[in-house]
Amino acid sequence: MKQNRNDTIEKILASRAKLPHTISPVNKLDEEGGCGVTGFIASIPIAGRHIYEPSVQMHNRGNGKGGGIAAVGLCAADLGVTQDVLDSHYLLQVAYLDSSSQQAVEKSNIAPLFDIHKAEKIPTIDDYRQIGLEVKPPDVWRYLVRVKKDKLSCFVEENQLDKLEDRKAEDEFVYQNTISLNQQYYASLGEKQAFVLSHARNVMILKIVGYAEQVTQYYCLDDFRAHGWIAHQRYPTRGRMWHPGGAHPFSGMHEALVHNGDFANYHSCSEYLNQYNIYPQFLTDTEVSVLMLDLYSRTFGYPMEYIIEALAPTTEYDFDSLPQAKQRIYRYIQSQHMQGSPDGPWFFIIARNNPYKKIFQMIGITDTAMLRPQVFALQKRDEVQIGLVCSEKQAIDSTLENLAAEDSRFCPIADKYWNARGGSSTDGGSFTFTIKDSGKNDGSKTLITTNKFGDIVDVPSGMQHFDTTVKFVTPATGDKINLKIKDGLGAKDIAGLKAYAVSSINKWDFSELQFFCSELVSQARVNDLLRKNSIDLLTHINDRIFPTGNKKRGSVLHIIRTSLTAIFNEIPKLNEYAGSVYANIDWNNKENLRAPEKGEKILVINARDFQPEGKDCDSRLINKAYRLGWLQYICFGYKGQRFTGCGFGKNSKDVIIDVYDSSGDYLASGIDGMLIQVHGNAQDQLGQIMNKGKLVIYGDTGQTFMYGAKGGEVYLMGNAAGRPLINATGHPRVIINGTCLDYLAESFMAGDPLNGGGFVILNGMSFDEDGTLIELATPYPGSNLFSLASGGAIYVRDPENKLVEEQLNGGNFATLTQGDWDLILPYLQENEKLFGISIANNLLTVNGVEMPYDKVYRKVKP
Amino acid sequence: MSENTNSIKLPKAVETPSRFRNTIGKYVIKRSNACISCGKCAELCPYGVHIRYSNYAKPLRPIEHKCIGFKCRENDFFCIDKCPVQALTLRKNALLETMGDYRWTAEMLLGHFAMAETGDLPKVDLEYSLGDSGGGFDKMRFIKPDSALSLKLDDDKIDTSIELNKTNDGRPVKTISIPCYGGGMSYGSTALSVMVGRARAAKALDTLTCTGEGGYPPELLPYKENVITQVATGLFGVREETLQHCPIMEFKYAQGAKPGLGGHLLGEKVTEAVAAMRETVVGRPLFSPFPFHSVYSVEDHKKHVDWMKEINNQVLCSVKVSTPTDVDMVAVGAYYAGAHIIHIDGSYGGTGAAPDIAKKNIAMPIEYAIPKVHQFLVDEGARDKITLIASGGIRNAMDVAKAIALGADGVVIGTAEIVALECVRCGNCESGRGCARGIASTDPELGYMISEEYVEQRIINMYIAWRKQWCDILRSFGMQSIKELVGRSDLLIHMDYLDKEERAKYQATPIKQHII
Repeated sequence: MKQNRNDTIEKILASRAKLPHTISPVNKLDEEGGCGVTGFIASIPIAGRHIYEPSVQMHNRGNGKGGGIAAVGLCAADLGVTQDVLDSHYLLQVAYLDSSSQQAVEKSNIAPLFDIHKAEKIPTIDDYRQIGLEVKPPDVWRYLVRVKKDKLSCFVEENQLDKLEDRKAEDEFVYQNTISLNQQYYASLGEKQAFVLSHARNVMILKIVGYAEQVTQYYCLDDFRAHGWIAHQRYPTRGRMWHPGGAHPFSGMHEALVHNGDFANYHSCSEYLNQYNIYPQFLTDTEVSVLMLDLYSRTFGYPMEYIIEALAPTTEYDFDSLPQAKQRIYRYIQSQHMQGSPDGPWFFIIARNNPYKKIFQMIGITDTAMLRPQVFALQKRDEVQIGLVCSEKQAIDSTLENLAAEDSRFCPIADKYWNARGGSSTDGGSFTFTIKDSGKNDGSKTLITTNKFGDIVDVPSGMQHFDTTVKFVTPATGDKINLKIKDGLGAKDIAGLKAYAVSSINKWDFSELQFFCSELVSQARVNDLLRKNSIDLLTHINDRIFPTGNKKRGSVLHIIRTSLTAIFNEIPKLNEYAGSVYANIDWNNKENLRAPEKGEKILVINARDFQPEGKDCDSRLINKAYRLGWLQYICFGYKGQRFTGCGFGKNSKDVIIDVYDSSGDYLASGIDGMLIQVHGNAQDQLGQIMNKGKLVIYGDTGQTFMYGAKGGEVYLMGNAAGRPLINATGHPRVIINGTCLDYLAESFMAGDPLNGGGFVILNGMSFDEDGTLIELATPYPGSNLFSLASGGAIYVRDPENKLVEEQLNGGNFATLTQGDWDLILPYLQENEKLFGISIANNLLTVNGVEMPYDKVYRKVKP
Repeated sequence: MSENTNSIKLPKAVETPSRFRNTIGKYVIKRSNACISCGKCAELCPYGVHIRYSNYAKPLRPIEHKCIGFKCRENDFFCIDKCPVQALTLRKNALLETMGDYRWTAEMLLGHFAMAETGDLPKVDLEYSLGDSGGGFDKMRFIKPDSALSLKLDDDKIDTSIELNKTNDGRPVKTISIPCYGGGMSYGSTALSVMVGRARAAKALDTLTCTGEGGYPPELLPYKENVITQVATGLFGVREETLQHCPIMEFKYAQGAKPGLGGHLLGEKVTEAVAAMRETVVGRPLFSPFPFHSVYSVEDHKKHVDWMKEINNQVLCSVKVSTPTDVDMVAVGAYYAGAHIIHIDGSYGGTGAAPDIAKKNIAMPIEYAIPKVHQFLVDEGARDKITLIASGGIRNAMDVAKAIALGADGVVIGTAEIVALECVRCGNCESGRGCARGIASTDPELGYMISEEYVEQRIINMYIAWRKQWCDILRSFGMQSIKELVGRSDLLIHMDYLDKEERAKYQATPIKQHII
């Protein structure tokens, strides 16, 4: 059996040797560092327009020199064929760069080889210029084909592939035909004529010279439906003439792959492929990746877990943490495939069809060092489930927002957001969303999310989802709720009302919550005090995590945030002085920015329509306002706008910025004294070179948090991704209540913590589904904790001594002294105040027993 | 070509003698006991080698580095022959055989000492424009110009200025009066007086210098218009205000001298003052990471540049990268990300603190990198929208001119400025508290060996001397501005590609065996 399989593999590889090819050059054709990638897959087909908005969100991750999209799990009706044809036929899509080549291509590589069920030109808009394109996209012809019987048997016979299933032989035939076609009409030519975009069953790829969203516009895909979509914004940096051939996604056989990153060992990877008679034709990293994936999966028949291991090997402490049996297999895989393991930053999103198992999948894989940003998200309810993966969180948010606006089964906030830990023993650095038949015999499908090891990622079941289409009816308890608000909201201290809200939401149904929030919105109109207290109260229930009963937290948040937005939007515009403490400014009235007038204190900025960076970004506006005398800001409506709080310069200690919605990268970088509160998750590169001030994040944050920071007081309710506090110096004092992926405080140089230096408190806690604080499996999963640090300290909550020496690289464990405890206690007290994480009841209580601090916390010192 | 009539205002050269009692000359003159102190030699020598005060019995010890050597024999003031008692002897200085290296030969070092002292080209027969490396700049020559082209124009009518913002993006247009500015040397790598002196020189010359990555000492603030703030991978001492008072900020992604390594400062040099500036621990070595942890790709880089532009709405951005084989693509990437200056740093630069194995083996020599990047930018249609600055092994005025002819707009000078301060390139910059010459030192005592005024004037003098060489070249090719020289690689020849006869027309490449 094994002999047979090896024999077949060798025959397949040998058959490819006959294909024409060019020798792989040492250098790739394009240098492309970075890109933006986004994708989602759902249990129901989704129209192409929904990939539009997230693509626009990642505009600034591309430069308009290459965009592409792929769809998997298409709708037979949209293609004008039967389901049976869609399932069985190959969707051969050929891009004709030179339309005169079509005849020749069809004559040599299509007509004589295939039974063509249907051939059509993909419809386009009339003029590519009307959507701002500079280069005319190629004419794309779609052929629904099967290989002619006689050709296939000839092929099988010639290459002795008789041991291979017929259908798999047909796959190989299609694959090889594409290589010949590309070689003849693309790779071998200076003036490119035509190339195959995709040839899979039930997968479609389109790409152009432009931005990804322009693909959907140009090829009229707004209403074209598919279960899964991925988009790629490219940032190539070479040559003035661009070919869409170099854009992503690339396809092997039944998949489409997009890639964000850059291989340092492109040549070695191509040489590795050459050993198996595979010769790249488009000379980009991405093509190499997908060819490798196809080799492992279709030719070698590896399961996905092994493919991921071959691409992103498990190393260091993570490797040691794997079960023995797994270590043995992984060691084989690593020794076999190390030369082909792509080195350098990369993050892949793969959309694939597995026609043999009748499943569609979307897979996100990060490299071992986690050098590219990535966020996963999941939303599930009985009727519909969706999994999303993306470079930046705001693209996920905007996908959901868009979907929810059209289809009430979706909610704008996902049930769960998380990052993968590359090459790890915990999740393997990869998550797969699989769409398969729900087994209900009605053709419906269901989504299952798994990590590299096949462990299922899920959200609590039985939770209710807020349906925006249900007409709002005042609940029976309305009067009671109203009375509470009337009584409490006018008070100076609204702590009682906050407690009431937190404890009530657990019991309320959606209409009661809705009623409560809308009452606050209307109260906020009355006067500034009620407005302030309404904002306070809504912000409090937005920030805190508490039991929400049988209501999904995402839905609860959606109602709260919509109400906050409503209050902010109703604040009088800056150009109509209303004598309020608050004044509202947005993109349309930004020209009216002026100094605060009598009584005005808080500038409320609707950031929605501002640019993410540059002259027209909201950060620039805030700076101008600061020079005019404004000190307090509420910024909302963010969809990834960057640099909030940057540019204020030395000593900004009286400034307060409250940030709502999907804030962007570099927030709070370089701040010197101000207070920034992020009421939700934050993104990458926060607090870089931060010097003084206070940053509070009611959620998680992304990559390279506080890189090179000099100081400041920072409270993070959730997790940080990779590389927090690298190269920090001076005296930053940081509490991370969750954990982080790896490389926490590498090269930390922040003096002596007991003598004015800096430190990080790592609590390793998390809120469970009921909003109860629980201990994570380990306070720190990574291999590198406080590596090569020369100053500062880490105080880690680790009552069961789960952390081991192997995770340190130069540091030492030490017992906490009274001096240490006295030092960190005030920060933990502030942490308690901000997040409700109690020192006595949560942090010092282990298995129900309150323990002394030195039995709970450990110190890591240089 | 625009008529260029503005006169250039440059600072005056002021004689700034060596800090050391015994200077190093190409020749050694010894005066024996036979001297009768007749005063003949002092009377004869027009170069000031012999000094004799009338109230002093004997002439002073000869100032050897001013002696023009054996060629003086033709003169009727040749002291050796004229000494009535044959008390004087002249020979070549054997010390030269142990000094310098193939690139920075002893004569080039001495030539720069002389320029920094006088502000003029050396009178002694020193080969200060060509080294013995056997390749690169040392094998390149400017072609013989057509004498009909030659201009009769004073130096002060020749424009050696370059522009640093060609983007037309609404940010300030920055012009510097010479095609050079100072490279980054951090607080901690050199003495504070060196740092401040370099800034003073930059101000006087209307050019720039760079902080390096060790923070921004307040002593530099009076010169802030002429100081570039460097943001390097360690982010040491980088704060918003240090970025807000600089006209240009420089991202240092890599150094040609040590690509793949960050900056490093060994523990001994991390004194209390240095540690305070960088907010780190005294005595602990400081290694900057090799990448920016927040920049792993082009689009991250764009975001990084955007960040700087957000912090300072007037600042120009320079991106310093080393020269890997795909440096051209890196340059284009920087351009698309909105940089104003792409600064490519080739191998061979760097102080003694950079490991030799890195300096000499990793990055591409700058002579290859410049035309590669220049041409690529031209093909890309971007060349006239970005300033291309080269550095790494550019040692003297002729190297600068050649680099410009190869395609750079200007260059960054590090080592030569230090040589002007009498660095002998012993290569021990990193050890202990640093430099025996008191330059690359954080030791307070060694640091006293050098004053800001001395540093300022020596550097001014060197550039004034260099400028004379540039003006000569420009005049000979009929050019009024150094901008006309950019990319004129047709004016260069490489000795290896000429036939024997043709080659003989050019100055031969000096080939000499050195002890090291």
